[in-house]
Amino acid sequence: MKEQGFRGRLIRLVTFLAGVYFFLEFLLPKSVLEAAGVADLHDEISNGFIVVGTMAFGLGIINLFRVHGTRVVFRRRDWLYSAALLSGLVLMMTVTGQDWLNSLSVTERNRECRHLGKFAEVIVEDSTNGREDVPPRTYRINKLHEAVEVTIKNISLEHEKAIKTLSQSLEEVSLVRLQELTKELNEAILLTDGITADDLAADEQILLLGRRITEVGVIFEKILRIQYEHSTGNKLYLFFFEGLFVSLGSAMFSLLGVYIASAAYRAFRIRSVESLLMMLAAVVVMLGQISFYEYVSEDLPNIRQWLLEVPNTAAFRAIKIGAMIAGLVMAFRMWFSIESESFSSRRGQ
Amino acid sequence: MGVEHSTPGLLLLLIAFLGPVIVLIRRAAAGKSIFIRRIPGVDAVNEAVGRAAELGRPISFTTGLTSVSPVLYACLGVLSYVAYRAARFRSRLLVPQYNPEAMAIVENAVRDSYREARRISAFDPQSIMFLSESQFAFASGYMGLMHREKVGSAFLFGYFAAESLILAEAGQQVGAMQVAASVSPEQVPFFICTADYTLIGEELYASSAYLSREPVQLGSLAGQDVAKLIFVILIIAGVLIATWNSVFPDAQIINIEAILRYQWVELFSFFGISGDGS
Repeated sequence: MKEQGFRGRLIRLVTFLAGVYFFLEFLLPKSVLEAAGVADLHDEISNGFIVVGTMAFGLGIINLFRVHGTRVVFRRRDWLYSAALLSGLVLMMTVTGQDWLNSLSVTERNRECRHLGKFAEVIVEDSTNGREDVPPRTYRINKLHEAVEVTIKNISLEHEKAIKTLSQSLEEVSLVRLQELTKELNEAILLTDGITADDLAADEQILLLGRRITEVGVIFEKILRIQYEHSTGNKLYLFFFEGLFVSLGSAMFSLLGVYIASAAYRAFRIRSVESLLMMLAAVVVMLGQISFYEYVSEDLPNIRQWLLEVPNTAAFRAIKIGAMIAGLVMAFRMWFSIESESFSSRRGQ
Repeated sequence: MGVEHSTPGLLLLLIAFLGPVIVLIRRAAAGKSIFIRRIPGVDAVNEAVGRAAELGRPISFTTGLTSVSPVLYACLGVLSYVAYRAARFRSRLLVPQYNPEAMAIVENAVRDSYREARRISAFDPQSIMFLSESQFAFASGYMGLMHREKVGSAFLFGYFAAESLILAEAGQQVGAMQVAASVSPEQVPFFICTADYTLIGEELYASSAYLSREPVQLGSLAGQDVAKLIFVILIIAGVLIATWNSVFPDAQIINIEAILRYQWVELFSFFGISGDGS
């Protein structure tokens, strides 16, 4: 591959520096990394690499549209399959996107309640520590109380709406669960409402308000989750993902059973001494695995175990050691950009 | 050994492994000849490309579930060679892809090979096709492709998991000549049963050097052999030391694992330096 001036040099430099960083990060003892302040930054640096990597994900989708879109537009051979694939892609993206948005809305109110609970803790903490760079305590307490009231009102309204739609479509088990949660929610709302603005002079009452509004949020999220699980969006998602995609994946996996049999037939035809040895080893391992091995020999399970643990493991380790050393050398060549010149060289031809 | 951070022993081991590689790369670059033994599976690459050209059927090359990693770069060496030959013989090359990141790199490597073969006009970007990032959806797409295109030769190079047999059987069904290479030992038996030629483990890395005869690759391949020799010596030494220690418990010799586990902090304190290296 010919060097492309500045761009090529820049790529080599970035590759080299990234390699130096990870090499030193692995090489140097933890204490030195901590003293240099690198240990704290390591996660962020690693995340940065992941972010760069994720940019490539769009490439797959672009390629799918380019390859199959062209086939559909120009009505090339098997264009109907491509149209089916692209329709499936668009449909799945829409359904998944909608499902994701729905699942986000389930947790939204709970998050709001948790923030209020946290706010109550912060008010008490700040006043205990005597912080002066924050608004006055009474002002913050009033704001907290107002926010709690508004949130409770919104939750009550949304809850009423959810009950109306859900009670018609739920089966008995879920309906009982919904009624229990509704009872719990009403009790929690009553208890939260029971704390008036005047009660909030004491720290314990502020913390209690915080805990109760958090509890309201948790219960309401459970109700919304029932609503979400019975929503058309979620049902569609489950139908396409678990009903079709996962089932088709399992069907593909099950093909392995058939293919193993046909591959075994080819492999076990005795054509040489090696295949005879392989056949004998396979017979011993298979007979040692089954329950009526004792009719053949009591020692079969032990021989099977020995075959798997000694010769088989030795061969596995040999392959792994060779591959690891080769991988290490390849990584070294990539680090120093020695590899980049290799792909296009045809001197051997 | 499960190390999160290196120890001085590991650094020494790294130098011992990479030292010969650097020396031999330099020797190869200086024009000194380096002997590489024949690998039948790699010889079969030319045969498979030629067979597809004779039959007038396409060639497929998949890197399986390989992501951007040293394994991918090892595969790219062979892919470039196959793409170059396919371009010269005017054969269609299909490269089904699983990983979008790897796909971008693969596309560039294939394009470069077509350019080098002076057949850039024959390069079809649509032949590098993204199938799916789901293992079995990818396998299903690959099977469909093999059957639809009646592939003449199939190359399966890289990292494979449970789908390996599904992919290789699809090739068998259409009568394709198959050359497979995997660094995952668990999948090697499947390929041996199904493919015509199988490269085992490190042979995948060696294949690129063998095909291109490029000095850097030849040198590093020879260097790997020296590194393996060091590994074998260490294994034998480890066995001897362990045997000695069990036979003569009163005259213990420090074993290799203890040397490798010797920490930096211990080394620092040996030289009178505090734990933070100051």
